Amino acid sequence: MNKLAAKYLRPSQIPTKACHGCGIGMIENWLLQAIDELGLKQEDVIFGTGIGCVGRQTFATWGGDNFGATHGRALAVATGLKLAQPDKKYLIVVGDGDAASIGTSHLIHAARRNLGVTVICEDNMGYESTGGQFSPTTPAGYVTNSSPYGMVEPGFDPCDVVKAAGATFVAETTATQWHQTVKIVKKALQNDGFSFVHVRFPCNENFGAYALGTRDTLKNLEWIYEHTQGRKADGSETDFTWETGIKHDASNSRPEFSRLLRDMNARVKADMEAKRRP
Amino acid sequence: MRTEILISGFGGQGVIRMGQILGLCAINQGHRVTMLKSHGTETRGGYVRAQIVISPEYVDSPVVEHADVFVAFSQPAYTKFYDLCGGKVLYDPELVEKVRDDAPDRHVPVAATQLSKETFSNQLFANMIMLGALTRVAALDYEAMRKAMLAVIPRFHDQNLAALDLGHTLPAARV
Amino acid sequence: MITVKAGGLVAPWIEWEKRCTDGRRLLEAGTYALTEGAIAAGCRVFAGYPITPATDIAEYMSKRLPQVGGYYVQCEDELAGMHACAGASLGGLKAMTATSGPGYTLMHDAYGWSITNEIPLVVVDAMRVGPISGITGAPGQGEFYIARYASHGGNFETIVVSPSSVQEAFWLTIDAFNLSERFRTPVTILTDQVISDMWEDLFIPADYDGLDFVRPRKHNLMMPFYPVGDASIDVPPNVIGHGTGVCVSAYTHTEEGYDIEEMEAQWAQTYRLVNKIRHHKDELARYETFGLDDAEVVAVAYGANARTVKTGVLEARRRGVKAGFVRLVTLWPFLDELFERDCRFVVCELNYDGQLVREVQRAAPHKKDVHFMGKSAELHTVSEVAAGLDGVARSNRLPELPYIWTEVR
Repeated sequence: MNKLAAKYLRPSQIPTKACHGCGIGMIENWLLQAIDELGLKQEDVIFGTGIGCVGRQTFATWGGDNFGATHGRALAVATGLKLAQPDKKYLIVVGDGDAASIGTSHLIHAARRNLGVTVICEDNMGYESTGGQFSPTTPAGYVTNSSPYGMVEPGFDPCDVVKAAGATFVAETTATQWHQTVKIVKKALQNDGFSFVHVRFPCNENFGAYALGTRDTLKNLEWIYEHTQGRKADGSETDFTWETGIKHDASNSRPEFSRLLRDMNARVKADMEAKRRP
Repeated sequence: MRTEILISGFGGQGVIRMGQILGLCAINQGHRVTMLKSHGTETRGGYVRAQIVISPEYVDSPVVEHADVFVAFSQPAYTKFYDLCGGKVLYDPELVEKVRDDAPDRHVPVAATQLSKETFSNQLFANMIMLGALTRVAALDYEAMRKAMLAVIPRFHDQNLAALDLGHTLPAARV
Repeated sequence: MITVKAGGLVAPWIEWEKRCTDGRRLLEAGTYALTEGAIAAGCRVFAGYPITPATDIAEYMSKRLPQVGGYYVQCEDELAGMHACAGASLGGLKAMTATSGPGYTLMHDAYGWSITNEIPLVVVDAMRVGPISGITGAPGQGEFYIARYASHGGNFETIVVSPSSVQEAFWLTIDAFNLSERFRTPVTILTDQVISDMWEDLFIPADYDGLDFVRPRKHNLMMPFYPVGDASIDVPPNVIGHGTGVCVSAYTHTEEGYDIEEMEAQWAQTYRLVNKIRHHKDELARYETFGLDDAEVVAVAYGANARTVKTGVLEARRRGVKAGFVRLVTLWPFLDELFERDCRFVVCELNYDGQLVREVQRAAPHKKDVHFMGKSAELHTVSEVAAGLDGVARSNRLPELPYIWTEVR
């Protein structure tokens, strides 16, 4: 176990049950680095997750308080929790199913409310824990176990969705961008409002094997890297390109959700007291 | 003694308000009270019914099955609920044009809508005129009713009190 | 096992009423009483989605909670509503949500999560007639079983209570919060459109802070977070945000809260979730009876319907029928003991399919002596109940009555 893991994680739950070469553990290490560089302690951060690869592999790894919600509902739970524990940092680490499919309504409304949480959407471009079906972030045309003739549905970009809904910090990165991801997560955690960080990472066992034709971690990472550059190693253009980096930064520009409610309560209390005075 | 009162009319006539004042008046006098209010989604326009039961003891069934007083504010309400009443029937002749002729002594016409329009240039106070008449017919404490009305209705206290008085002193209601 | 106390009401608020003398008498709706009961019980978060006939609870809460430093959250749907309540409760605040059948079924995701993680909270289901959206302004009693099985997967018991008056709705809400804290589980208040919309005289204590029967929230700050394999109650709930390292998840868990795929762990967890309720049924029994001593036929009902049924029993007695009455306040766990007597039963409920009647048939000594008077969308009338009791007393058969269904297959 590395130094950061020893400092923040729960030894009994490490290593996780993740498949060989899975990016989830690596990204979690990057999150720890961001937390550490911000000087946050274990008790400062509440770690929330959902269901699926990301939920299952990260749940209970965090040494502090943490919860694993039902599928898609991590942000709904966090909405209530934030009212009771407003001073904590919230790291909501979920997959593309939780964020971009079954729980999208909560994602949109958490962004609208500017709920003070940082969502890390670790996107392996499909439902991999159920054996590799397509998700709303699977690139069009790619073969999965439920799109054997190629994914025919158009996907969507969750960053666009949360930005339109009012998120105050939105960024996109991938498992090939260590330093950029750490920098972005640090910024996200410093926003007292809704932060969304979209991190694409490869699944070797399913997406890699069926959509890309290889279980080789390095080859799959390379495929992701090429799509952030728009160019393959041989110099030819990729079929599409992911723009990574900070997409929207309005950090601390509008009041956080629980703050709004607390301010309203203070107003109501003051009005009541003013009325009580003779 | 269990007293059952049934008030029914169209939405927007203040049927529920009448029941609310009646109920609060009884509570202030130490009684137990239930009020069922039924209306569908059409709060305005559709039929509205308030079933009020007043008793010195806890009211078991809140359902009015044998009304001591029935206030009819519309023809459909009159027709629909007439059989549930064994006592006095107060009705607004402008809204209930056809009444049965087999029990004239039980029928009390209260021209509440017409009087409201004449006195206040507005039919909004018809329900308070009717409540005044009802207070007289049911021999309820008038002072207590005035107080309950002031507690329930937020605005236009002068007109509402005048309307209540008007109904309470109406010749037709002196039965 | 509970020891049946025949005659009158068995409920903790009989004592509470005696102790609360200072207060106000109002004419208010059931929704108001449910709201004020929650505020009195210390509820500080309401998260939900408006639905007839529970909407007024949301509106009252939006006004009342900020006055007491609490939070009203109007969520995107009922899934979010109950999950947010669970989150708030996990953070240390007492929470409630309110809905009707269509929303109640959506909450079952969060219901199961709250059961397995032993999160106290209160859910009001103001039942309207169904199926599905049915008639928004008419009462039903269609969620008797759904409230018992308010999540999938089995291996749990639930606590469900039902008030019969506006005043009882107030006390029962406080009671429901106390039970949810003591048993570390969600409690459903299964009410109906009549009780939620009805206005009735209501006594409200003057000083909520002085109510010593309100159980305050306590926190469990150390291991074991989940006393698996143990049926004890009064274990304080876990809290997130106090750095205890607690784990909360949807999976079968260890006493630390780690997800685990082992039979022994599954059995230990199930033992706790089922038996913490089964072993303490005596703490949960709330019911009202009368006339059981000499009753040849007993009418059974709950909720608003129990009121006309009770008057119907009195009417039957006036006609010379030896009739008795059982009103269930606690619906689940089911109080079998009340029906273990050699007499005939007439079960009156607001549905045509027959739900409560099936439990009475199971609990009573002779199935053939248990009769069903189902009615849909409207309370039984006093005369219907009296006629039914009369018929069963005479010939062990229900007379044919319009709008009443009697068949249970």
